[in-house]
Formats: sequence, structure tokens, C-alpha cells
Amino acid sequence: MLTSEHSIVEFKAGRAIPDRLTQNTHRHYMDYAEKMLSIYRNDIGRQRCWLHRQVETLFADEPDCPVRRIQAFCKLLDDAGIFQADPSGKAAGLRLEVFSRAARFHPLVQQPDRLFEHDEKKIKAQLAQELAMSWDQVGRALYADVMAFQRLEAFAGYSDPGALLSRYNVAQLQACLYRAESMIVVVTDDLKTILRYAKLARLLHEIVRLGPSKYRIVFSGPASVLRETRRYGVNFAKFLPALLACKGWKMTATVQTPWKTHASLSICEANGFTSHLPSPEQFDSGLEESFAKKFGPKRDGWQLIREGEILHDGQKTFVPDFTFCHEDSTQVFLEIVGFWTPQYLARRRETLRRFGHHRILIAVPQRSLREGASIGRNVLVYKTALKLAPLMEALERIRTENGTA
Amino acid sequence: MAETQIATLVVAPVRDLMYQWHRRILRAFDYDAGIVGDNLSNIKPITVTTYDSAYIHMDKMGAGFGLLIFDEEHHLPGRCRREAAILSAAAMRLGLTATPERSDGLHKDLDWLIGPVVHHTPFGKATGSTLADFDVVRIPVALNDYEQATYDQCSRVIRHFVISRRKQWPGYTWQDVCKESGKDPQARHAQKAYYLKQSIENRAAEKLRILEDIFRLHKGQQILVFAGSNAMAIEVSGRFLIPTILSHTRKRERLALLEGFAKGLFTVLVANRVLDEGVDVPEAKVAVVIGGQASTRQAKQRLGRVLRRSGNARAILYEVVCENTKEVERSQKRRRSDAYERTLHRRV
Repeated sequence: MLTSEHSIVEFKAGRAIPDRLTQNTHRHYMDYAEKMLSIYRNDIGRQRCWLHRQVETLFADEPDCPVRRIQAFCKLLDDAGIFQADPSGKAAGLRLEVFSRAARFHPLVQQPDRLFEHDEKKIKAQLAQELAMSWDQVGRALYADVMAFQRLEAFAGYSDPGALLSRYNVAQLQACLYRAESMIVVVTDDLKTILRYAKLARLLHEIVRLGPSKYRIVFSGPASVLRETRRYGVNFAKFLPALLACKGWKMTATVQTPWKTHASLSICEANGFTSHLPSPEQFDSGLEESFAKKFGPKRDGWQLIREGEILHDGQKTFVPDFTFCHEDSTQVFLEIVGFWTPQYLARRRETLRRFGHHRILIAVPQRSLREGASIGRNVLVYKTALKLAPLMEALERIRTENGTA
Repeated sequence: MAETQIATLVVAPVRDLMYQWHRRILRAFDYDAGIVGDNLSNIKPITVTTYDSAYIHMDKMGAGFGLLIFDEEHHLPGRCRREAAILSAAAMRLGLTATPERSDGLHKDLDWLIGPVVHHTPFGKATGSTLADFDVVRIPVALNDYEQATYDQCSRVIRHFVISRRKQWPGYTWQDVCKESGKDPQARHAQKAYYLKQSIENRAAEKLRILEDIFRLHKGQQILVFAGSNAMAIEVSGRFLIPTILSHTRKRERLALLEGFAKGLFTVLVANRVLDEGVDVPEAKVAVVIGGQASTRQAKQRLGRVLRRSGNARAILYEVVCENTKEVERSQKRRRSDAYERTLHRRV
């Protein structure tokens, strides 16, 4: 995935146009893509900075190529490879070891004389021996944790040059959407799939029914979230390939320009972005995942159903994250709010009121509450993870109320 | 702080300095001050924080403090960071710095963000009393033939390109080169040539040789080396097997290295820009600058690293500068600072 530092967007007449390489305008890029892929394929074991330099040289005489585009290609190629990493701080440990051992020989000189007798090469060989390695190995490992020096270990790559270019196009679109304040998607066909991925990505959304099988989903964009904007932006970006892979939709986003004005970005199926459904595991939906696991398939007579039901009330629509069914056929819906904005919470309250005849529980994070806020009857507050005890209590309360009513 | 008996917030530029303040307060007042920042939020009557945490959290904690102390106050007038002062209700504010001037001119705002200047010690007065006596020694080095040839070639590429552009557009500037680099391979070549020149200046082979001589000259003394780029810092580290502190060095390693340096376990420390400001390294009396910017602020701050007086030892700052390059110009610009007035020139 790209970051906003890689993003190339042209703003023209109130429209945002993310950089896109097409058959018509950039046919010759197929050739570059092929060459870039072969650099990465053939040079396994090379350092990251070396690989980047090769890619850069490739474009040296290309008239149409902003620096950011080269950097973006490098990032996408890096993402498809595995680099030697140093998670346990081994390099730092080795450095401390080597430098402490070398300290008593300081300074290492190239022309030793009587006063300064520690020859650089000799001492290095000696230290390497003490560490039971060759100096070459030590030198390689010494700064192995610096990003630029990491070595490529494996390269899964892209199936063909075209795949790299379409990935680039989608990635630029994603990067452009980091600036989005809101995104409106009108769906006619794949509503269930689109909603599933929106839920997986924990996007803030409102659904309105426009017709028998026509819905409008309004998403809050990364530029509107107050906290964790980066993580929300990444989730937002992850959702996009899923949308692109679906059928029957039209999307319009409002993005912020660098001059604090607004521009719109519209795409639909016909724009021909190619993509595939990402696997659900790529999403960090830990909150639901761990909750579902904790709950188990059945508990105290309640059964948990993951597949959300779509509730309607006139135009308003509500899709809960979980449905709980009791043996006595009581049904309770639960939505867990992760990311939030004050406006979003207010709209959720409104939804709760509207769908009052359904039994809905909403779990909200503690930090989203104002000091001294009154907590509604059907609102559960959680700190880092939703606890089972208060939930079971709430479920039972609703059931007994239901029984007596 | 003792006199006013008022809740105090100390704002430091980076986490290392925040912890340094924390340690100093602990030592001076035997008081375990609160910390806001570095994933901690522990507000106490005396609290230390960083500029970044200060402006993020000031709206929540601003009402609680009556006295604000801004260390290295020239960091405050930045676009976001100034919020730290604006959002606070504190009536008493103190700013400390050796280098108030900012290149963007925003230091004027310090007058209302903190208050007018109440005390100013001219540099000349401080030397010898609170600051150590010092010499600035400039050592010119020559590029080797290969480096010089590449360097000149790069200069020609840039000059040729800019001159040809200026014929069409008089006022053509370096910014325009950067803008055009996406569309015009020639502009990109010029841009690359510029970076190559910089890298040659920063990493000239001769500088390593001069370093060796300086290390010989000051054997047994604590030395700080300031490099112009990460690459050069790592190169020096690999050549002499001496530790580096870079921006991405983790906290644990950083502390271990600084402690090792303070204890004399390591005699030399290489850094790019991390050690430029604030961090206390009292034992070092020798600094070597082998690359850097033209700014007088950086120059002064780097000099400041070796100027803390300890005993009667004289401090020395070496500036290793490539001859016949832009670096000479940068070095001259640094010299505008009053601290550098008495620079000695030495040929090696």
C-alpha cells in the first residue's frame, strides 16, 4: 500500500484525478514494468537501496515520470517481497558487542606506527575471529536493521507486468482517498459483499434504501475521523479493492485539496479498475474476532450468528454486526462501534431510537464518551475489548423484559 | 519553581531531553516529576513533556499549570507547536535558548507566545565563565581525483541546464527544476547531479583520513563526530568501529551508548543530527563536524555540545570542509554566527 507521500493527484476544475497509467497513454510502461519485475526477481539477496537505485536508473531517460511515481513503484515492489528483518534487535546487540570490543583498540589506523599500532584490517579480522564469523559477515550484520540495507529474501511479485500496473493504478486511487472526507457509494448488486467488507474494515457508514434493491452507503473518510486517522485511512484503503471487485456500484468521494478546498472523485464499475476480493484475514478486525471466539458458538442458551441481518424502517437501514438468538426465539442485535466521530455517535443514537422496536445493543468505546455523559439503557461501554459479563446481563435483561411484556 | 510554589510544566524538544529534565528534577529536588509523552500520561504538580505532546494535550491539562518552561524555545513558534502556548492559561512563562533566531522569522512571535526577552548573555561574556574556552579549527581537505572529476561533471550538468533554461525564462530557479523533473529527463538529471554533489561532499574519502589524524591527536579524549548524512555516519562507524546514534536508533540502544560514552567505555560517538541539540555530554571537549547545513543555528548548537565547562579544559571544534566545493560557502555562512568569529585555519 502507498502512503500519501507517494500520492500523485491532479486537481482540475473541482475534480480530483489520481495518477493512472492506461493502455492509451502509457503503453510503454508495460516494458518498464517487465524490467522492474525482473530486477526484483533476479536480484534476490541485494539490499533495498540497491534495488531502488536500479529502478531509478531504469526511468532515467523517461520524459513522463515524476519522482513520486518511481518511489511508488519501489514501494509496491517492496510490498510484494520479503526483506530480511531484525525484529529481535540482533543487529543492535551485535553493534554493542563489536563496538565495546573495539573500544580498547581505538583508534584503528591504516598506517600503524609505534604509537598507534592497531591496524584496521588486523583488528577487524581479530574481532571477527572472537565472534566466530568472517569480517564480511560481521560487516553485513552490523547495520542489518537499517531499512535501506535490508536484503531481499524472496519475491512473490506480480503475475505479469499488467498486474503491477493495475496494482499501481488502484494504489494511487487508494492514496488519493486518504484525503477523503466522505465517500458515497450507490449499490445495486453486490450489497452484501460490499457491506461485509465495510464491516471488516470497521468503516463508519450510514445506509439508506433508495429503491427495492438500490442502496446508498455514506462512508466517513479518513480526513473526518478525529483519532487514529492513519489506521482508519489504511482500513479505508483496504476496503477499496473489495469495492472495485464488486458489481453494480457507483462511487463519489469528496476529498480535501492541499489548499483546503474540496474536490470530487467519481468512479464506477465502467472505469475498468481491475482488482480482486482481498482475503478477510487481511483486515484487522480483532475486536469482533476475539469477541466471537470468547463467546463461542453457544452460551447460556444464546446462539451467536455472524451474518448480519438488514433491518429496514422506511428509507433507514441498519445492519448489526452480530445477531443473538435465544432458545425461546428472542432476537437481539449488537453493533460494536470502533472508530467514531461525534456526529457518527449522534446518528447512531438516532438509529437506536428509530429501531426501538427491535432489540438493539450498541457497544461504544469508553474514550468516545464525554465526561459525565449519561449512558442509555441499551448502550454497553468497553475499554479495550468488550467483556462477556455485562453483555450476558444485558441480553438476559432484554429477554426477561420481553417475557413479561 | 521553588519560589513561586506553582504547578510547573516543562516542555522539551525531544523525548531524550524530556527524560533528562526528569532526571535533573529528581536530582535537584528529590521529586519524581510526572511525564506526558512517550506513551505515558502522568500529570503531577511538576510535569515534563515534549513540544509535540504539549500541543496535543494542552487543551486538557492547560488549566492546571501556572508556570510553563520552554526549553530550546526556538521550537515553539512552529505552526502546530505554538498551540501549546496559546491553549495554556499559565500566567508565568519562561523560555530558554542559545539560538533564538529562526530562518522563517517566526521567532518574533515568541514575544507574545512567551514574553519579551529578560536576560541575554552575549556569547563573548559567557566563554570562560559558564562556557569553556574554545577554538574553532577549520581543516580544508581536497577531493580525490575521481571525486573531483565527478563533482565537476555534475556542476557542469547543472550549470548547463540552468543557463539554457534561463535563456528562455530569466528568473528560472531551483524550485522550477524540481517541479519540472517529472516531465523532463534533463531536469531530472540536473536534480540527480545536485544530490550526487551533496553526497560527494558528505562522504569524501579524505575526510575519513583526516578523522584518523584527529583521533590520533586526541587519543584518550572523548570526541563527538557530527556527520552530514546517515550514510556517512554509518561509514565512519564501520571504518573505526565506533558507535553511532541515528534518528532510528532505538531508545534502549541510545541510552546504552550515551551511558557508555559518559562512563568512558566508548571514546567516540558519531551522530548525524540527533545529538545536535540539548543532550548533555559534559565529558566531550572535542567535536568534529564532517558535514552539515549552512544554518548558524545548527553550527551553534553543535558547538554547544562541547562548551559545557568542566575544569579548565579548552574545547576544540574541528570543521572538516572539502575545498573547491559548495561546502566552503556553507562553512562561511555558518561563520556569520558570533561564536565562530575566531576561527583558525589549519592546513593538514
